[in-house]
Amino acid sequence: MNQTVIINLSPREQGSSSMLSYMCKEYLVSKGKQVKLFHLYKSIQSIDLLLKEIKEADTIILSGPSYINHFPADTIYLLEKLKENEAIFHNQNVYGIIQGGMPYIHTHESGVKTLALFCKDVAISYNGSFIIGFGAMLNGKPLNQLVNGKKVEKNFNLFLQHILRGSSSPDSLYQNCQIKVPGFLYVMLSKVMNTKINKELKEKGIDYQQESPYWQIGKEQNMQ
Amino acid sequence: MKKQVLRENIVIISDDSRQNVGKQLYDTLCKQKKEVQYISIGNVNVKPCYNCAGCTYKTYGKCVVQDDGDYIYPKLLNATTWIIVTPLMWGTYSFQTKRVLDKVALIGDRHYYVSKKELVKRMQGNMKKYFAIGIKDECSLEEKETFTSLIKENITIMSVTGEAFVLREDSSQESILQIAREVSK
Repeated sequence: MNQTVIINLSPREQGSSSMLSYMCKEYLVSKGKQVKLFHLYKSIQSIDLLLKEIKEADTIILSGPSYINHFPADTIYLLEKLKENEAIFHNQNVYGIIQGGMPYIHTHESGVKTLALFCKDVAISYNGSFIIGFGAMLNGKPLNQLVNGKKVEKNFNLFLQHILRGSSSPDSLYQNCQIKVPGFLYVMLSKVMNTKINKELKEKGIDYQQESPYWQIGKEQNMQ
Repeated sequence: MKKQVLRENIVIISDDSRQNVGKQLYDTLCKQKKEVQYISIGNVNVKPCYNCAGCTYKTYGKCVVQDDGDYIYPKLLNATTWIIVTPLMWGTYSFQTKRVLDKVALIGDRHYYVSKKELVKRMQGNMKKYFAIGIKDECSLEEKETFTSLIKENITIMSVTGEAFVLREDSSQESILQIAREVSK
């Protein structure tokens, strides 16, 4: 025992959730912890191995992106498998990390609420999470690339210290990183981003005003 | 974004591997002469989104992977009202349901908009309403609140209106009728 299992819940192995998983790993290894890191979408093929490692662990960290306001689908599959194999739990400490494109905490919060409910269900300790907005800007790059990078980096390190100690990490750590931006700035920001999107597509010869290909597929389906 | 104007129509996406409420709601709406389609996703295969950007560049607006999404997303694009019926799993959708929703940006507008002083997205097509029904027999207040706030976030980000419901598997005909009334408003 005395092992930490980190699971990257993203289908991508090079993205921001993965980068955050490796940050956790490096920190904990530097403090003398034994750490094993898994990429969920690959590990699901051999789920029994993952379950065995979780049984051997005293700490579990789940790090994933926010896909339509929650962790990617296979996270639910993982939780179902863990529930079916409840005997592997012996009061491990669970921590969550979720990051998403929108800059607001509330957009991504549902993912970590599910982790809390799951931990309650299987009677293990949910010890808090870290939520990061503006994730699309990151795209696998270090945290200091964020507009609120310094604050996020500092508070994420405090979050890591909680993981090391096995203590409960307060929500205020990530809440304090949120930047308050007046509405008109978002109007400007959306215009800048939309111009960038259109320009990029135009450069690649793509008409961004074209109708979705799924319209045509739908029409063909209806004719069959 | 070019839109094709359609009359009011409902699509029910139902993970019926563990619940029958979706089917009952469909029957109820049919009896009320609503234009409604039922898509069972209990056994469908929608592969994960790997964020490969294929739908942005290679096959604009379409997933490069061929799977059952090719059947589902055209139906959703056509619908004015979506009703998702799913087993409730720790305050969220089932695995199968989430596989479908994870790639819903395929029929989303790529651009950003501002609503209530925050950035939001919009959908393509004529979607106006989004309803989600979580099915669970013993649901705690905390879990119900988690599901309700998730659906609220989904509704916000897609710039539509709608509501979340939590029902028991053996729900009465009256509670299904009540939902049928809500979605038809």
